[in-house]
Amino acid sequence: MASAPSKLYADDVSLLVVLLDTNPFFWSTSSLPFSKFLSHVLAFLNSILVLNQLNEVVVIGTGYASCKYLYNSSSYSNHGLEDGRMPALCTRLLKNLEEFVIGDEQSIKEDPRGGTMSSLLSGSLSMALCHIQKVFRSGSLHPQPRILCLQGSPDGPEQYVAIMNAIFSAQRSMVPIDSCYIGSHNSAFLQQASYITGGVYLKPQQMDGLFQYLSTVFATDLHSRTFLQLPKSVGVDFRASCFCHKKTIDMGYVCSVCLSIFCKHHKKCSTCGSVFGETPVELDSVSKQKRKTPE
Amino acid sequence: MPQVKIIAKNFMDMVASLPAMKLDQLYENAFICEAILRSLPPLAKKFVLQMLYIDAPVSATSMEEWVLPDGVSKYKVAVDRLIQLRVFIETADRKRETTYRLNPMFQANLQKLLIHGEVLAREPMPSNITVRLPSLEELEAYALDQWECFLLQLINSGQAEKPSNISSSVMKVFQKGLLSQRDKEAPRLTESGFQFLLMETNAQLWYIIREYISNSEERGVDPADLISFLLELSFHVTGEAYDIDTLTEEQRYAIKDLADLGLVKLQQGRKDSWFIPTKLATNLSMSLADSSSRKQGFVVVETNFRMYAYSSSKLHCEILRLFSRIEYQLPNLIVAAITKESLYNAFKNGITADQIVTFLQQNAHPRVAERIPSVPENVTDQIRLWESDLNRVDITPAHFYDEFPSREVFEAACDYAREWNGLLWEDSKNMRLVVKADIHTHMREHLRRQK
Repeated sequence: MASAPSKLYADDVSLLVVLLDTNPFFWSTSSLPFSKFLSHVLAFLNSILVLNQLNEVVVIGTGYASCKYLYNSSSYSNHGLEDGRMPALCTRLLKNLEEFVIGDEQSIKEDPRGGTMSSLLSGSLSMALCHIQKVFRSGSLHPQPRILCLQGSPDGPEQYVAIMNAIFSAQRSMVPIDSCYIGSHNSAFLQQASYITGGVYLKPQQMDGLFQYLSTVFATDLHSRTFLQLPKSVGVDFRASCFCHKKTIDMGYVCSVCLSIFCKHHKKCSTCGSVFGETPVELDSVSKQKRKTPE
Repeated sequence: MPQVKIIAKNFMDMVASLPAMKLDQLYENAFICEAILRSLPPLAKKFVLQMLYIDAPVSATSMEEWVLPDGVSKYKVAVDRLIQLRVFIETADRKRETTYRLNPMFQANLQKLLIHGEVLAREPMPSNITVRLPSLEELEAYALDQWECFLLQLINSGQAEKPSNISSSVMKVFQKGLLSQRDKEAPRLTESGFQFLLMETNAQLWYIIREYISNSEERGVDPADLISFLLELSFHVTGEAYDIDTLTEEQRYAIKDLADLGLVKLQQGRKDSWFIPTKLATNLSMSLADSSSRKQGFVVVETNFRMYAYSSSKLHCEILRLFSRIEYQLPNLIVAAITKESLYNAFKNGITADQIVTFLQQNAHPRVAERIPSVPENVTDQIRLWESDLNRVDITPAHFYDEFPSREVFEAACDYAREWNGLLWEDSKNMRLVVKADIHTHMREHLRRQK
């Protein structure tokens, strides 16, 4: 007879917040068609919901200029067929996704950011964290949350500060950020995000087997991660972006008061207003080594 | 401590004990596959998902590489469970290496589930046929009411208002083990009967369902069919109406019993009749640990051993009567006192102090539940003290040895018993010793070797 008060939630109940990259600039150049990608992801989301009836899945679309909640499994039941063909998850998600992509396209036309091809990761990360905070506050009983970024488009250096802030707040609330990067080069932001929050960063080699990657690595609940071999990061690009021109830099100037980073010498810190001393003679003599290699 | 006789094992242990043939047959139903998957330990779920699209058998050694050194024991538990449930099929390849592959039926069903989603055997009925469905609150109240009524009837308290139509033979089966009846005397609750009453609703439900299933063969119903129907039922949506005509003959028979237990509510329209699953039914496939259907507590215990239970339920009153003296009853309040006599009575019936304390803590009124401890410490301590008063003598089965041939043999025997942690008493002067009964065989071996 259990004398200890029985636990209400099993160890493996999880809340998975998926950030889906819908950036049209990336998908028009990608070797993996978006439709194929979606079918892998939908099967993966279904499998998460099948694993435990208390599992929750939230999908947030990361567009070029906007972000939106696309699906929340706790607000609809996953039962039944809607138009007689597809399960509820697919119908709802696809319908919302379509609306979102059209809306996003509209906002690109209204407000072209010019130049960059990156998607609004900082926005969707913040939305995910807000949602998780809401779940944390809903009561003492909640599933264990984690974030999964399915990202393809390159990093946007101009979002550096916002993304880093999101990463640190995820770290504080012990929410791991997993990232599955399907673009061509590694993403420094996501590498850092996963490294700092204790998540997994993976760049799949075989795009046809995306579902297998997702189910093998990213379906693992936090409890089981302590027993399983998961991909380890080989090296993390720790380069920062400067606050003044939003460029990714190897070396730069750091404000000694607030640790803001600049690529050029300034008279005054733009963040905290501290006044710096005389211009140093050589960049090399005062600059701080910014690139670190882990371990 | 008396041995606990009721083990509220879950559904899956029962499924696992079915013969292989029956199991394979069960996996033809996609819902069972899903329910089985959900019942697995987390690591086992992970393996199933990982193997889902691998058609070739995977060798045990390469599977072991998936886990960290720390997780080997967990890995073993997971794989054993999977083999036990025939989700994994173990084979040996040419190099005599153990390989595992998923049960093909199970694999196909799960693959279908992932791609097409869940498809229920029957659709909810449109709302224009079903007039006035009960709200979720009403439904829950109905389920608990029904369950309580059943329990009252089960313990034969004679307080049940409306007799349910569970046949008396089925009722007898449920009562077996919980009640004992001597000739011509009124039936009395047994030790396990008392413990049963103090369990959580979900655990009680398990016990009853288990009895119901294991008894099904005598009623001419295939247990596998019943299990698959119950599991399927647990995937229906709470509060939706489903047409009764979609059920088979046996299922229709079973659903009447389930309605008496409060698992479903039966309603009748002008032409059709339908059933509405309650929360009790949809919680069925969950393991006990996930019982999110915790009821609100109602008991306040004061430091003066007085107990106030805000409840109008007769069942609660009966349960409290097991270990306390009911002083008076108001329409929504039961006032009782925990006394030495009432507790001795409870202990005599085989209830332990821990069970009483757990019951009081689990059912603490929300007002006091936030406090730590929710039951005053002096009360819990006193309950335990009174229990230990009764257990001043410990009984350990033991064996007595004497007439040792020499002192060496005696000393060696003592040391040997100490090594096994089984030496209870020794008298070196007269060369006599007493050892625990469970090491008796080892001891005998040891002494035989000495000769």
